[in-house]
Amino acid sequence: MRKITNRSFSLLLIAALVICGMGFYLLEYVDRGQDWALYFSRVNSGSSGLLLDRNGQMLASFGQSREEFSLDAHVRTANYHVTGDYWGRTGAGVLSRYWSGMQDFSIFTGMTKTEDSVLTLSIDSKLNEYIYDQLMALGEDTKGLMLLSNYKTGEILGLVSVPSTDPLDTEAELKDGTYINRCLSASFTPGSIFKLITAAAALEQIEGINDMEFYCEGEYEIAGVPIICTGSHYTQTFEQALSNSCNVAFAQIAVMLGQDTMVDYVTNYGFLDSHELNGINTAAGSYPTDFVGDPELGWSGIGQSTDMVCPYAMLRFLCAVANGGELIEPSLILDDTEAESIRYMEASTAGRLKQMMNYNVVDHYNGEENFPGLKLCAKTGTAELGDGTSHAWFVGFLADDEHPFAFVTLVERGGYGLSTSGPIANNVLQWAVENIKVDKQ
Amino acid sequence: MEVFLEYVLTTSKFAVIILSILILARCLRSMLSEKYESEIWGHLSCEGENYTLTHWENLIGRSLSSDIRLCYPGVSRCHAVLSRNDRGIWKIYDIYSRSGVWVNGVKVGGSGAPVDTGDVINLGGLTLKFRDLTAGDMEQNEAVRTSAGLHVSPTVTLLELSLFQLALLLQHVLSADTEHIRSIALAFVALIALQWCCYSAMRLMNRSGFEVETLAFYLTSLGMSVAASSTPEDMYRQMLLTIAAVALFLFGGWWLRNLRRTMAFRIPVAGLALALLAVNVVASDAVMGAKNWLEFGGYSFQPSEIVKACYIYVGSSTLERLFFRRNLYGFIGFSALCVVALALIGDFGTALIFFITFLIISYMRSGSLGTVFLAVSAAGLAGFLAVTVKPYIAQRFATWGHAWEDVYGAGFQQTRAMSAAASGGLTGKGAGFGWLDDIFAANTDMVFAVICEELGLIVGLCMVAAVLVMAFFAVRSARHGRSAYYPIAACAAMALLLSQMSLNVFGSLDLLPFTGVTFPFVSRGGSSLISCWLLMAFIKSADNRRDASFAVRSARKLGGEEDEDMEEDADEYVNIAEGNPFIESWQEDEYEEDN
Repeated sequence: MRKITNRSFSLLLIAALVICGMGFYLLEYVDRGQDWALYFSRVNSGSSGLLLDRNGQMLASFGQSREEFSLDAHVRTANYHVTGDYWGRTGAGVLSRYWSGMQDFSIFTGMTKTEDSVLTLSIDSKLNEYIYDQLMALGEDTKGLMLLSNYKTGEILGLVSVPSTDPLDTEAELKDGTYINRCLSASFTPGSIFKLITAAAALEQIEGINDMEFYCEGEYEIAGVPIICTGSHYTQTFEQALSNSCNVAFAQIAVMLGQDTMVDYVTNYGFLDSHELNGINTAAGSYPTDFVGDPELGWSGIGQSTDMVCPYAMLRFLCAVANGGELIEPSLILDDTEAESIRYMEASTAGRLKQMMNYNVVDHYNGEENFPGLKLCAKTGTAELGDGTSHAWFVGFLADDEHPFAFVTLVERGGYGLSTSGPIANNVLQWAVENIKVDKQ
Repeated sequence: MEVFLEYVLTTSKFAVIILSILILARCLRSMLSEKYESEIWGHLSCEGENYTLTHWENLIGRSLSSDIRLCYPGVSRCHAVLSRNDRGIWKIYDIYSRSGVWVNGVKVGGSGAPVDTGDVINLGGLTLKFRDLTAGDMEQNEAVRTSAGLHVSPTVTLLELSLFQLALLLQHVLSADTEHIRSIALAFVALIALQWCCYSAMRLMNRSGFEVETLAFYLTSLGMSVAASSTPEDMYRQMLLTIAAVALFLFGGWWLRNLRRTMAFRIPVAGLALALLAVNVVASDAVMGAKNWLEFGGYSFQPSEIVKACYIYVGSSTLERLFFRRNLYGFIGFSALCVVALALIGDFGTALIFFITFLIISYMRSGSLGTVFLAVSAAGLAGFLAVTVKPYIAQRFATWGHAWEDVYGAGFQQTRAMSAAASGGLTGKGAGFGWLDDIFAANTDMVFAVICEELGLIVGLCMVAAVLVMAFFAVRSARHGRSAYYPIAACAAMALLLSQMSLNVFGSLDLLPFTGVTFPFVSRGGSSLISCWLLMAFIKSADNRRDASFAVRSARKLGGEEDEDMEEDADEYVNIAEGNPFIESWQEDEYEEDN
């Protein structure tokens, strides 16, 4: 009998296989359960939903039979990185994040029936179309982005990343990086726009910085390593140094601040973190946090070295400066809940920086001619990529309570910030001032 | 009002989940915490050492796995089998030992020799003295053993099960059409009444082990729920089938109480199984896939389901017979016939289940991995042939793992099952609130997904766990079986149910090829339900805890002298045997073998 009973353990082998199989299923369920559930449940649960822009323009909808997007291909393409798609090709779209939510799915409660769920975005799809056209006007192969938000409410009004594609056009030939949402999911060498951060740190940490003078003759050696400037600025104040975008001055300021202080500021301003924009995780940036020595520190203070900035993180910085140092967290979704706000920087720092950015435009960017009628505060950036090309940045905001817009414009390898991205920013801002109604607070 | 109903539904959903876990936990705890003590049936003394005989069938030999291990050079590894029959008569068999066996100086022949208290057995140069138990000894030994149900009260578990069923019923009342509520309620109430009747009967028989029945009733209630969701118009039929299945289970358990009767009917049962399959082969007109059911005036019946129970009945064997190779060959032949018949019918899934069961039985019988490997390679070849000959089987293999690539074609059922299962989440949508049950064959082939969708993943896992717990129970009971027949049958029955469950669950989830077999107890289908309950009889017959199972005679009553009950059975057996060609041939067969 013992023979038989010993052999009975062979049954446990089958039981073990069953348990392994169930374990495997559970892992799969956690991993892919949502995709599975959504595939047919939409049809069978009777759920339907709509994704609208701030003006009620339909961007996407799903219902009993199929998922749909806007009827207009141009709207679809310009808004592709906002909507994303049902198939998860691009990761950072609203659909990828909210589609399940609009159908009330979670791994714990499963699908619960919802009818006519509507998600309204803060995005203005017409603005996106306009931005898209502006970027594409530079050429078919343009890579770039523009973000535009209301810094008083946190609403993101425009979000465009190119190259883009029509989500319904499955035959379209895709350019490299079409599925990347450049506004949220990428980070770039910032170049001179980074001087805003160095300047903010200096305003708070270096006593009498506003009265200091900096001397530039085109090149400056730190510990035997030259820092090259774009020109010779000779004697200049702090304010002039920013408008001159003087590398020599800002390399010196970074060294004066020291690496620890720089790292503190970059960290506190959230440039190293991934943020959550309505549940969409954004890309983290980078800054030399390990000890690098003064020459490298100098370069890092002017946005070169290993600095990388996610456009979305830059937008947060600009919104905070524009809003007196208080950041209303940006959001893509219009709802009644009160926007979260945080004290991002000292009000005085923000105020001074705002003045300086306005001085940039007035004094240096030929504001009246290039940006007619706009109370613009801005900073250009021409981020050297080491291969002779450079990213063309133009970032800033309108110091205008009627039109409280902050923006980030970037054309990858687009040349000079002011000449490439400046006109785009101007056109878009003019359009926005004209066409976007802002609720009075 | 609507809010209130929502509240009721949510509460009952959680009740179903919590009660499921409680029921399983209690059955498992009962199994783990209770002592499974051996029964004592006799004593052997040798060289001043005393050996207790804890089974009806005891292997004497030098090998580690002998029940009476005699490490002396003259003793063969497997030397003799000392076995007791239902009537309390002990016999010793020489199983091809090198040096032979003598009882009171007479050499034991092929048919074995009876031994009684005081008899002297000689083997391998050793002298063994045999002592049977008196009725008094038996009484005493039994008094010391722990009875079942002492630690975990089966009454409480059954109460929980009843609450579980009521909670399920409540959800159906909320979801079903008004015209069906009456029949659904009646079916559930009948099920509850049935299980309490069953339990009361056991208590009247002074039996207290009810874990297996509880688990089976638990699964049957889930099956009832699936039926109420998918075919509410058929509830009366489901109810009657359940009653019939439980009745057959009781009959099966009673039948298995008598080992001699059980053994005597193996040949007729084998004949019955082959006849059923033959009728199926002839009567089926397979168009696109399997036609494994027969129809009588609107009622369909699946012969292969009944054959499952027959197969295990025939495949199990007592210990002394295991050592004669030709018995195993006979079984292999029978298995081959069954599998070929199933292949002809085109029931690939059931053929596979039979094959896995065959592996377990043949391994338990022979202990030879070589035989198993041989069988596996033979099956591999047969499977290859099946795949090449039957295009729809090849297609199922091709779809396997790629269901999502052909959502409206070959992956139709799997993808819907996975989608529905995932959309239930952990807690489900509520019984009757799903959409999967409208898909063809969802209530049989994709029943795991139906349960996951409506009652949630947790209940789905409990459903699988319930079958696993039964399997552990079978392994645990196997240790103390009286005759080898019962553990082999119990383990084979569980192997069959486990492999059937795996094919059903993993097939519908695209982790195995989709074969369209049923989930034990839960899938809709009368033949399947009956077959599962019949298999439970084998599990019950292996449960030798004190006064635990109605399918096992109380050891107290069996002690020492023959009881009247036994006599009756014996007479009955003779009556049945007369004029029954199968049994007569079996008797001849045994006679031949013995000589």
